[in-house]
Amino acid sequence: MSARQRIKVLVTVIGLDGHFTGAEIVSRFLMDAGMEVVYLGIYQTPEMIVNAAIQESVDVIGISSHASNYEQINLLMDLVKKNNLSHVPVICGGTIPKEHAQALMKKGVSKVFPPQSTSDSIINYILSAVRSQNVIGD
Amino acid sequence: MKRETDYGYEIKPVYTPGDLEGLDYGKDIGDPGSYPFVRGYHPKGYRDRVWTRRMTAGLGSSRRTNAALKRYREMGQTQGMLVICDRPNAMPIDADHPMGRREAGVLGWHGASLLEFEELMDGIPLTGQSITLLGSSAMSAIRLAYVVALAEKRGIELTEVHGSTTEYPFCHTFGQTDHLPLDLLIKLWLDSSEYIVRNKLHMRSGILTQHFQESGGNNAQALAIEIAQLKELLGLLVNERGLDFDDLYLLPYELQSIGMRFFEEVAKVRALRRMYAKMAKETFKAKSEKACQLLISIHTSGRAMTYQQPFNNIARCAIQTLAGAIAGCTAIDNACLDNAHAEPSPFAARMSLNTQHIVSDETGVTDVTDPLAGSYFVEYLTNRVEAEAYKILQQIEDQGGMIAAVKKGYIHEIMEDSARKRQREIESGERLMVGVNELVIPPEEDDDIPIQSVEVSDSEEIATRMEHWKKTRDLPLLKERIAQLYDDANKGDRYNLMPSIIEAVKAYGTAGEIVGVIRRAYGFPYDPLEMIDCPFDLP
Repeated sequence: MSARQRIKVLVTVIGLDGHFTGAEIVSRFLMDAGMEVVYLGIYQTPEMIVNAAIQESVDVIGISSHASNYEQINLLMDLVKKNNLSHVPVICGGTIPKEHAQALMKKGVSKVFPPQSTSDSIINYILSAVRSQNVIGD
Repeated sequence: MKRETDYGYEIKPVYTPGDLEGLDYGKDIGDPGSYPFVRGYHPKGYRDRVWTRRMTAGLGSSRRTNAALKRYREMGQTQGMLVICDRPNAMPIDADHPMGRREAGVLGWHGASLLEFEELMDGIPLTGQSITLLGSSAMSAIRLAYVVALAEKRGIELTEVHGSTTEYPFCHTFGQTDHLPLDLLIKLWLDSSEYIVRNKLHMRSGILTQHFQESGGNNAQALAIEIAQLKELLGLLVNERGLDFDDLYLLPYELQSIGMRFFEEVAKVRALRRMYAKMAKETFKAKSEKACQLLISIHTSGRAMTYQQPFNNIARCAIQTLAGAIAGCTAIDNACLDNAHAEPSPFAARMSLNTQHIVSDETGVTDVTDPLAGSYFVEYLTNRVEAEAYKILQQIEDQGGMIAAVKKGYIHEIMEDSARKRQREIESGERLMVGVNELVIPPEEDDDIPIQSVEVSDSEEIATRMEHWKKTRDLPLLKERIAQLYDDANKGDRYNLMPSIIEAVKAYGTAGEIVGVIRRAYGFPYDPLEMIDCPFDLP
C-alpha cells in the first residue's frame, strides 16, 4: 500500500449467498477502525471480486460466508493466483465448519474467522497481515 | 451485565400490581379463545392438539432430502414436515445454470421441478401432516403448483392438503437469496394468495419475521414489521383483488424467532396476538372471531447458537423451546446445536426433536394454557413490547407503509442498527454469552461435533442430472405451456398467473424457466445473472 496511508479492504458476500448482515457489520467496524472499505454486497462472482480487487488495488479481500460447499471461494482462490494477487491476503468469516476452514487455508485463504469472532481480532489480524505484506513487498 | 429488554428498555428488580394499572382483564387480555386473544385461540390450549414438533430438512438432492425426511419420521416427526430450498432454487435459477451448478444443494433442497418434488415426497404422505416448503418468495407460486400437481397425480382432494408453500415478498430485504424485483414478487404473491383463498385451500402463506429477527432485528421492531407487512399485503388482497377480509383467515401465518430473553420472548408472542386481533377488527372491520387470529409458529433462534462449545446450544434450544411452548404456538422448529457450523446433522436433528418432546411430554407445559398470564412482569412486558412496536409501526406508516419503507431502505437501516448494537453489547460484555465472552475455553479444547456437509461433487451431480433430464421431457407440450404462460404474463398485473404456472409445472417446466419467462414478459432479462439465453422462442 506504498503511497497510501489507509488500509483498503474489499468486503463481499460471494456467489448466491444472500446473508449480508455479517459483511455489513464487519464493514462498519473496519471503517470505524480507520480502514477504507470497498463493499461489493451480494451476488458477486469470483470474477467480479477479483476484478474489483485489481481495480481498487485493495490490500485485503474479505469474504463473508453463511453456508456453502466452498466452490465459489475455491474458484476465487484460483483467480487470485492466476491474476498474481497472491500478495493480497484473502480472509473468510462466517459459519464455516472446521474441516472446510482447513481446506480453505490449504487453498491459500490466510485466515478463517468463526462466528462470534470479535471486531478486535479481525482488525488486528488485518493490521498485522498488511504490515507483514509490506515488509515482504518493499 | 445490562438489565434491559432486547429493544433497550430498562428492567426493574421487581414488578407489582402498580405496573399494570388500568389493565382490564376482560378487555385487554381475555380468556384463552376470546378476543383480543393474548392468551391464545384455544380454550383448552395444547390439550386439544400439541404443537407440531418439526425440524428443518433440506440439503443436496431431492433423494437425499427424502431420506432425511424419512429418518425424521422415525425420530417422531409425524405431524408436519418443513423443507428449505437451496440457493439456486431460491433465486431461482436451475442447477444446470453455470452459477446454479456451483451451489446446487447448498443450504437446502434443490427443488426446481415437479420431478424433484415427486422424489422429495416419495413414500411420504401428502395429507395427515402439514407440508411446509420454505426458502424464497420467488418460488412460492411454483411450490404451490407442485402440491396441486402431486395431489392430482395421487388422486387426493387438494383441500385435504394443509401446510404452507408460499411466503412474503420481503425476504430478500432480510438476507434471503431471491433475485426477483420487489414489485414482481408482490404481484406473484398476490396471485398465489388469491388462488389459495378463492379455492379455499388450507395452504398458508408465511408472512414472517424470522428472517428479520435472525438478521439482527429486535423484538419490538419484529412486531412492528409483522403488523406493517400484514396490513399492507392483506390490504392489497382486499383492495386490489377484491377479497373479503373475513375469507383471509386461512391465509397468513407468522414464524417468530424465539431468542434467549425468556420472559420477553413469551411476552412478544402474546402481544402479537393482541396486535393482530386489534388490526383485524379496527382496520379491516373483521366480522368473525377466526379472522382476528394470526397463526403463529416458532423458530428457535439460530442467532443465539454459538460456534464455541456447541453442546451448550442444547441448553439454549431447550430454554427457547420452552418459551415458545409457553407463549402458545401451532408449530416449533429448532435451530440445532450445530447451527453456527453447518446444516443440521442427523445427530443434531435428533437432539432437537427429542428436546421438543422432552418439553412437551415431561415438563407439564401442555397441561395449562398460557401459564404465565397474570404475572406482573410478563403482563408488563407484553404491554411494553406492544407499546414500543406501535411507535415503530407509526414510523413505518409515516414512510408510507411497509413497501415504501423497504424501498426507502428504512427497514434495512433499523435492522442493521439493531444488529450492530447487539454486536457492540456482546463485545463490551454488557450481554453475556457463555463460551463467547465468559467461561471461554481455548479452541483446541473445544468439542468436535458431527458435521453434515454438501460437497462440490454433490452440486455437480444435481446439475448434470438436470441437464440430461431436461432433454427427456415432452418438449412440444412444455413449449405450448410456456407460450401460454408468457401470453398470460403480458395481460397485466391483475391477471392471475397461478393457472398457467400450474400447467407449466405439470409439463415439468423448471423454476428457472417459469420465472425466467415471467421476467421476460415484465421486461427483465430471462436470466437474473445474464449469463444464459432464454431457451424458448418468445415473441
